Amino acid sequence: MEDLARYICEKAKRRGAAFADVRILHRRSESIMVQDGRADKLAAYSDRGIGVRVLVGRCWGFASADSLRKRRAERCLSDALALARASEAFVSDPAMVAQARGIEAEDRREPEVPPAAMPVKEKMSRLLEYERAGRAAGGKAIVNSIVSYSDGEREEVLANTAGALVRTAVTRAVVTCLMVATDGKILQRGTEHRGIAGGAELLRRTGAEEFSVRAARKALGLLAARPAPAGRFTVIFHPSITGLLVHEALGHNSEADAVWAGQSILEGRLGEALAAECVSIYDDSTLPGEFGSYAYDSEGTPSRRRPIIEKGRLAGFLHSLETAARMGAEPTGSARAESYDCRPIPRMSNTFMAPGAVPFAEMVRGVERGIYLMDGHWGYVFVQKGQFICHAGQARMIENGQLGEPLRDVSVSSMTLDTLRKIDAVGDDFEMKMPGMCGKEGQSAPTDTGGPHVRVADVVVGGQHGG
Amino acid sequence: MTKDDPLKKTYLDICCRCVERAVRLGAEWCDASAGAARDISVAVEKTGIKTADAGQGEDAAIRVFVRGGMGYASVSGSARRDIDRAVERAVALAGEATPDPDFRALPPPQPAPEVEGLYDDRIAGMGVEDVVRIAAANIQAARAMEPDVNLSGHVGLAVGEGALASSTGVAVAARGTEIDADLEALLKRGQDKGYFYDFDFGRNLADTAPEKVAESAILGARRFLGARRIHSGRMTLILGPLAAYGFIGGLVGAANAESIQRGRSYLCGKLGEIIASEHLTVVDDGLVPRGMRSGAHDGEGTRRRPLTIIERGRLVSLLHNSYTAGKAGAESTGHGTHSGGIAATNLRPALGARPAAELVREVKEGIYLESGEIRPDPASGDISASIDFGFYVKDGCIQFPVESAMLGANILELLPRLDAVSSDAREEPGILMPTLRFQDVQIAGTE
Repeated sequence: MEDLARYICEKAKRRGAAFADVRILHRRSESIMVQDGRADKLAAYSDRGIGVRVLVGRCWGFASADSLRKRRAERCLSDALALARASEAFVSDPAMVAQARGIEAEDRREPEVPPAAMPVKEKMSRLLEYERAGRAAGGKAIVNSIVSYSDGEREEVLANTAGALVRTAVTRAVVTCLMVATDGKILQRGTEHRGIAGGAELLRRTGAEEFSVRAARKALGLLAARPAPAGRFTVIFHPSITGLLVHEALGHNSEADAVWAGQSILEGRLGEALAAECVSIYDDSTLPGEFGSYAYDSEGTPSRRRPIIEKGRLAGFLHSLETAARMGAEPTGSARAESYDCRPIPRMSNTFMAPGAVPFAEMVRGVERGIYLMDGHWGYVFVQKGQFICHAGQARMIENGQLGEPLRDVSVSSMTLDTLRKIDAVGDDFEMKMPGMCGKEGQSAPTDTGGPHVRVADVVVGGQHGG
Repeated sequence: MTKDDPLKKTYLDICCRCVERAVRLGAEWCDASAGAARDISVAVEKTGIKTADAGQGEDAAIRVFVRGGMGYASVSGSARRDIDRAVERAVALAGEATPDPDFRALPPPQPAPEVEGLYDDRIAGMGVEDVVRIAAANIQAARAMEPDVNLSGHVGLAVGEGALASSTGVAVAARGTEIDADLEALLKRGQDKGYFYDFDFGRNLADTAPEKVAESAILGARRFLGARRIHSGRMTLILGPLAAYGFIGGLVGAANAESIQRGRSYLCGKLGEIIASEHLTVVDDGLVPRGMRSGAHDGEGTRRRPLTIIERGRLVSLLHNSYTAGKAGAESTGHGTHSGGIAATNLRPALGARPAAELVREVKEGIYLESGEIRPDPASGDISASIDFGFYVKDGCIQFPVESAMLGANILELLPRLDAVSSDAREEPGILMPTLRFQDVQIAGTE
């Protein structure tokens, strides 16, 4: 594979490419779904192919194929060159690329328990145990339960015309649980997710009590919760919601392609104080075993910790080779491609807010009337407008400095910069347990996110009745 | 498909070979799909072309049942060795799976005429220069309308063919084309920003005007300049065509028989019941000629047919695949996917009596949601959504775009408050998108 990648790079140079890179990728994964007492859906996936990217004149071209035959790879190169040349007349912003170091490196992250080392029957048995424990905790109120597990290996070879040759192999595993409960009138669900850059050891490390039992208790608890009120409130974010905030509201805005394209609200603001001084936010793909971690990005740049906000000031962006060149910055190893048929683009990895000094109890004591949002489910952002939304599966009213009645299914929406300025307390705790697949431009990337509890003054809450 | 492998005469041959091999290895029931696709995509950034991409690939997938337990394997490419391994793995996984007594059978062969207009030789014959030309036309139009606009997005096409064969004798093949343009316009006036998007897609070039998308995106972006905050309160909610389509798509998704049989949908126990006002009728029709989601068969080989899901507010049908239909003792409705899921096709709500403009004129105070995700919790039906692209309406007139506002409701309480569906609709190939109006909805503002 290395020979093929280098051969195509050499040929690209000879055919006039100012820069080219070749990625050869092979992914294999298997999944098991347990539902209502049966592990009756098992699946295996495999894909393999080559992606060739060229910079010719002022424009990029990219072509891919699902074959590693030399003739197909050569055709990819021809197609990529033709695509770039056909587009050149309409480029408003000539493409460029940072001087890539011609490193040769190999990183194989061997999991403690490789996927094939644990028999399918053993994995099924563990998932069935989770399910039984969750159902036992929920009793007859549980009407549906799903426990899903998948693990997979990704091997990638990257070569470029600057002489880089990087071979990487990483394994990831994810286990999720859904418990649905009813009281005969309404349905509620509780979910839990765990994910690692690792293998089937995830199933040995994850105990039912903190996983499926917790999901069942969430669902049961929500049966007694009422819909949230609507209006403006002081809110406290659980670390999972803090994670959604830093990922959706800030993280996507810090991806340098959005900044360069004039789409991000952070354009032209490097060094400015954009958040409260107690706020520091980082993206770090070097954290051992975390779901979003990797050793080299899809352009062969080594992984690193990337400050985004430090003590309230905008400290940096997430760069690819291209955006680093355009913006006079260093590549940060943030260019990720989902598969061989995708171009590398700036992405987050593990994004989090650093802990502060305020204990949770003190944070709550300072709120006369507010809402404590927990159990982050999902979020999205419009970087162009600087508007985000985060959805919490659970919440509690806060009245006179004390946690009050449980609430269910509530979202908050706000403008990113307003919210970052209105953070008035950052907790002394920390949790990062939001492994997931982040979507951007049709590609998904494994990421994680989290942080401490934070308190934000004056956020709009989408409730069902007048607040 | 390359010519150097004589075994790859057609994708149907590949599928039949997979099925035969799986049965030899112990499959009790199985089906296999195989196909190829090629695509071209031109990315637009900062009102210029950023990159042009092309891809082509083949894939195969096999689904095997042993005592009802399912094993599934997919593989990219068409190398015989890889496909054979996938078949072996699917059979092995099915053998390991827990038996499922609810599994009945895969569908028998159901011959059906092809749906007209799903493949267009003109799109199949287009090259990168043609896609670049469409992107360039949008860029030029954008610069002429708004010299400072920031236009981004993509223009692309895809051409594909595929086949499906099963151990019950299903043997079907189909091909299709698609062209699409999806562009976002961002206008800046000092600190003020106007942002919106538009799209166009079709199976036939004649059904689309992809070079005109930038123009409508810019018109939308102009309308969203000058956003303001609003107060909280209960008011009328109007869903414009794009917002309404997303809303109805979510509602139909909850009528998925798998979710209901498993007891996790807010529509559990509602079949045959009134769930919405009499204004709401929704038909799913996978046979609309030239429709985006049309096809003679679903992913399991079941013949498609038009299906009324909600009729004058009553939930009258669920979407079934062969598994859920077998479990319910019903017929599959033709909404199965090859991996075992259930998916809607072209949704066509019945139109009302009066145009959207008239529905707006009657509103004393409300929100007109042009586009936005109203995503109910799939179990509880609770909605807590951001008003992403909305306008404040007062005394029958749209006043200004809204900033930082949300809406909250439970979908089962919201649906009976639907008091009008417009007589006019945005129409995309196969799909109808009318305007919907709901009364008395909780809005949270920040004024």
